[in-house]
Amino acid sequence: MTRYILTRVLGAVLMLVVTSIVVFGIFFIVPRLAGQTTDQLAAQYVAKDPSPEEIAAIKQKLGLDQPVVIQYGRFVKGIVVGREFQFGPDTEYCPPPCFGYSFKTQRPVWPDLVDRLSVTFSLAIGASIIWLVAGVSIGVLSALRRGTFFDRFAMIIALAGVSLPIFFTGLLSLALFKPTGVNYVPFTDSPFEWAYNLLLPWITLAFLYAALYARLTRAGMLETMSQDFIRTARAKGLPERTVTTKHALRATLTPILTLFGLDIGLLLGGAVLTESTFSLPGIGRYAIDAIGNNDLPQVLGVTMLAAFFIVVANLIVDILYAVADPRVRLS
Amino acid sequence: MAAPLDVTGATAEAPPEAVLEGAGKAIEGRSLGQIAWMRLKRDKFALAGGVVIILLILSAILAPLLTKITGGPPNEFHQDLIDPTFSKPVGDGPFAGFSWAHPLGVEPRSGRDVFSRILYGAQISLVIGFLATLVSVAIGATMGVIAGYFGGWIDTVISRTMDAFLAFPLLLFALALAGVIPDHAFGLSGNTLRVAVLVFIIGFFNWPYIGRIIRGQTLSLREREFVDAARSLGARSSYVLRRELLPNLIAPILVYATLMIPTNILFEAALSFLGVGIRPPTPSWGKMLADAVGYYSVAPMYMVVPGLAIFITVMAFNLLGDGLRDALDPHAR
Amino acid sequence: MNRRKLTSITAAGLALGLLASCGGGGGTDNNGATGFNAAAERVVNQSTKTGGTLQGALSSDWDSIDPGNTYYAFSWNFARTYGRALTTFKTGAGDAGLELTPDLAQGLGEVSADGKTVTYKLRPNIKFEDGTPVTSKDVKYAVARTYARDVLPNGPTYFVDLLDAGDYAGPYKNKDLNAFTGIQTPDDQTIVFKLKQPFGDFDYLVSSPQTVPVPQAKDTGAKYLEHPISTGPYKVDSYVPGKEFILSKNTNWDASTDPNRKQLADKIDIKLNTNAEDIDNRLLAGSLDFDVAGSGVQASAQSKILSNASLKENADNVFSGRLWYFVMDEKVAPFDNVDCRKAVQYATDKVSLQTAYGGPVAGGDIANTMLPPNIVGHQDFNLYPTPDNKGDVNKAKEALAACGQPNGFNTKILLRSDRPHEVSAGEALQQALAKANIKAEIVSVPAGQYYTRFAGAPNYMHQNNIGIAFTGWQADWPTGFGFLQQLVDGRTIKPQGNTNIEEMNLPNVNALFDQAAASKDPAQREQIYGQIDKAAMEQASVVPFLYGKGLLYRNPQMTNVVISFAYGMYDYSILGIS
Repeated sequence: MTRYILTRVLGAVLMLVVTSIVVFGIFFIVPRLAGQTTDQLAAQYVAKDPSPEEIAAIKQKLGLDQPVVIQYGRFVKGIVVGREFQFGPDTEYCPPPCFGYSFKTQRPVWPDLVDRLSVTFSLAIGASIIWLVAGVSIGVLSALRRGTFFDRFAMIIALAGVSLPIFFTGLLSLALFKPTGVNYVPFTDSPFEWAYNLLLPWITLAFLYAALYARLTRAGMLETMSQDFIRTARAKGLPERTVTTKHALRATLTPILTLFGLDIGLLLGGAVLTESTFSLPGIGRYAIDAIGNNDLPQVLGVTMLAAFFIVVANLIVDILYAVADPRVRLS
Repeated sequence: MAAPLDVTGATAEAPPEAVLEGAGKAIEGRSLGQIAWMRLKRDKFALAGGVVIILLILSAILAPLLTKITGGPPNEFHQDLIDPTFSKPVGDGPFAGFSWAHPLGVEPRSGRDVFSRILYGAQISLVIGFLATLVSVAIGATMGVIAGYFGGWIDTVISRTMDAFLAFPLLLFALALAGVIPDHAFGLSGNTLRVAVLVFIIGFFNWPYIGRIIRGQTLSLREREFVDAARSLGARSSYVLRRELLPNLIAPILVYATLMIPTNILFEAALSFLGVGIRPPTPSWGKMLADAVGYYSVAPMYMVVPGLAIFITVMAFNLLGDGLRDALDPHAR
Repeated sequence: MNRRKLTSITAAGLALGLLASCGGGGGTDNNGATGFNAAAERVVNQSTKTGGTLQGALSSDWDSIDPGNTYYAFSWNFARTYGRALTTFKTGAGDAGLELTPDLAQGLGEVSADGKTVTYKLRPNIKFEDGTPVTSKDVKYAVARTYARDVLPNGPTYFVDLLDAGDYAGPYKNKDLNAFTGIQTPDDQTIVFKLKQPFGDFDYLVSSPQTVPVPQAKDTGAKYLEHPISTGPYKVDSYVPGKEFILSKNTNWDASTDPNRKQLADKIDIKLNTNAEDIDNRLLAGSLDFDVAGSGVQASAQSKILSNASLKENADNVFSGRLWYFVMDEKVAPFDNVDCRKAVQYATDKVSLQTAYGGPVAGGDIANTMLPPNIVGHQDFNLYPTPDNKGDVNKAKEALAACGQPNGFNTKILLRSDRPHEVSAGEALQQALAKANIKAEIVSVPAGQYYTRFAGAPNYMHQNNIGIAFTGWQADWPTGFGFLQQLVDGRTIKPQGNTNIEEMNLPNVNALFDQAAASKDPAQREQIYGQIDKAAMEQASVVPFLYGKGLLYRNPQMTNVVISFAYGMYDYSILGIS
């Protein structure tokens, strides 16, 4: 077991390294592919018409004049052991994980990310509870009452749910229920205001996922119900209730919970569309702004964070699987 | 695959590996295709989806003709229909601006006809949706079959690559890439180039979903008796792939391609919504929604119409895709 | 001379605002009832009542609250609550708000005979928030640190460009302030600026927050924004980026040394990154006093305000000082021919462009000159009149014939994809030009690099045959020189970061700028600015179409509210709350 976990963790770390190389490579190479010189890149980060000397100074400060390998090395070094930055009169130590300082705002990226994460986390936590409960229960009910009006109706709604873009349902719900828009209030400031303001984003986001989960749960449930062990259970004379809850539901839930873990991982990396639509200052919004501003440290920080969540979610799911089902370890 | 998740559109509807397993077991006497068609014909929802898709495609192709009848050219300004102070269509109520000449109203600010912009927007959505799916399917099916059939280290490499792709925040990449498209490249320019790049980005980033499914299918097919039989008769890999595997993979590829089109349409709409779609003044649904953000209190229908257009299109493809899957898969019924 | 950055994504124009002069006693408003545009005409709700908290909000964030590192119009306006520059704009309605008045200094600058030395005497007894006296060295240090562009990149570079300081690189690399020769401080009260060449508008330059004194011992470079040391009536209690900015009374500020500001409210509390619609809503509900950005309310609040008389009387629709225009690049065919440029001038339907920008209230007034009405030097004229400003296809076709393109031509329109108003305007222009057989293709690019890579890079314009580019401009100080020089002086054309996008380089225009810079007579300068405007318009490569305006809403509880023409929004230095 320990060995299995170790291999998995190692695999995850390796995956993160590969991701960081690819992410860095893409964001390093793409602007150059589009024909930008390092001078042009540097010039973006000085507000007014810069002189060649100013551009050279900025270029040097940001390290844009270095070859890609060195820049990547610095980037990794910052994440692992931290880096020092020159700041006017003082040198500032940026502790690990250091994603550097924003080219635009000159603020360290990591604390900003942590700050934004609380918003995205708040969004994800509320929405995921709603969608898991709603999606799974509707799915189970639909499967148990297969072919009934409830089933058909629920499944049509679910299909509509997965067919609606969140930026449309979001705008629609804003227009209908909260034309003044959503204003994020931190939980620590006022739990009530926090929940009140997040309610609409939660429901909108949860609607989408609940629809998906209802469909998956129903399909999984039907699949399980037709399998041998259920037949055996029934044949043994177990009450139908025990068969469905104890056996069928359990078997169905495993893949659903797997997906749930992965979805949470994805969401924590930034619910870009939801946050854009509701103007929530989360990771996703941060990412959009970072890309819009061409702020390389911000972009790298946010994409690496997103990748980190996905990889970690995968890892956790894998390990839990192994704990639950010893066969996985052997294969 | 019908999962238009938040930003990424990335969570695949985890296909129970078995969903299509039965695809090969045809009832004696009728071909698989005939049976599927019979089942499909009985599925009213799927048929409705198919009809809507055909109508959509027709109206997108016939947009120049249809807008001659009503609506007018998509980029023509009608500022006489706009209240200059509020930039909204003249008139009261949510349906201000709706008339026979402009059956879906006019755009705030410019007075352009929404109906014709929706029709022309359908061209963009459908073209990108189809072509991007083609790219995904081409890459995904090839990689999936190779990985599933050869196994071993080839499978490991391809599967890890797919995992790595799934670990990337794809929408962010797409945004970053689409944001730096130059004015001309690869001998293309303007919107042709942008459509090509969007197709490539959307298609390229989504191939692992179909890749995974096809790999799973291939894996299970590989162990089947008829493949074993062919192999034991000395057939080469290329023969087995072409003559034994591929025909059996067509059904799942068809189903998942159908289900992927709406995902890709949503992806395109999301990119346009976030501001990196095709160039103005060419209409696109996502862009229309983005424009509507500032006006939803004064011109609500301008938000509802493109939203519904996306919804109806995506829903139609999902209905058809679901129907196809059910028709090709006896288990799911 | 550079563009001030627009702060909100959807911002139409910014409005201007200086504080009303604090003359007059206190008590309640003696100017009668408020009303629509009242704050543009007088100081509304005059009062000396103290106490309370001013509640502000911003849908974005400051670029930096460090006075030496900020370039937003609202930020320059607001910085006056916690920092005093050598000069500032008078508090008062209308043109009075465009007048300069001494702030830290006792009087406006004394210019030497050759125009290359400008001297200011500081007022006595001015203190920092910690009680230490302000000396001329602190002002010198404040300017010196703006030379460190790698540490403080945001502000403008006028001092770097103008002062005779060799290749001085800021006080962080060389801590000895004597190395900075551009400014001399013969004694603690006197500060002498050494210029490379005469500069008529120098008094305006030193009104920027870059001359707000900074004690060298307290300077923490890029981190100074965590707590800038105040000299104004308020000091920074806390600034949490993206969250909030809180100021409270500075007890070491002495009203007797400062005739321009007031210290009425106990606190100023500004919430950052607040949803724009929510800001409007709270403004209208009275739970918020002012929107710091000062760029005007959103569409839905606008319709509420204009359709409700009791709301409307608390609103002001004022010029922001911003000009929206597009240019034709004189180096890109066929716009190298003046008649082809005239064809576009005549073909343009300015009403459709105005609608694209939000109409007469949220967008602004139709412009036919480059200088907006609230800029010193503005004259009213129209060299290319068309009926109702809606374009004249016949005249356009005549001009086309004259330039040898009777069947029209093809060109490209460059604009910023993430500016919905600009995109809309580009589409409107495309339609209008098509009527005169000019076929224009729209090229949309990201705003972030518009001036470094696209419109501001002449090479890009030439290589991609971009004939037309949209842009907007707001001067750093409200005179014709500050407004026009970077736009039409041929000597300012740069390979990137260029704002003379049309690449206009006319000897007579360039000479007029030199004349204005050398002139010590404000009236003469004002007259020259008008001449420059006209000469540039004759060249036909610039098409101004909108003097930006915004609809501002003031909470009726707010006291001493007046629009500052210099900033295009409410004057933040005298506000109080009742």
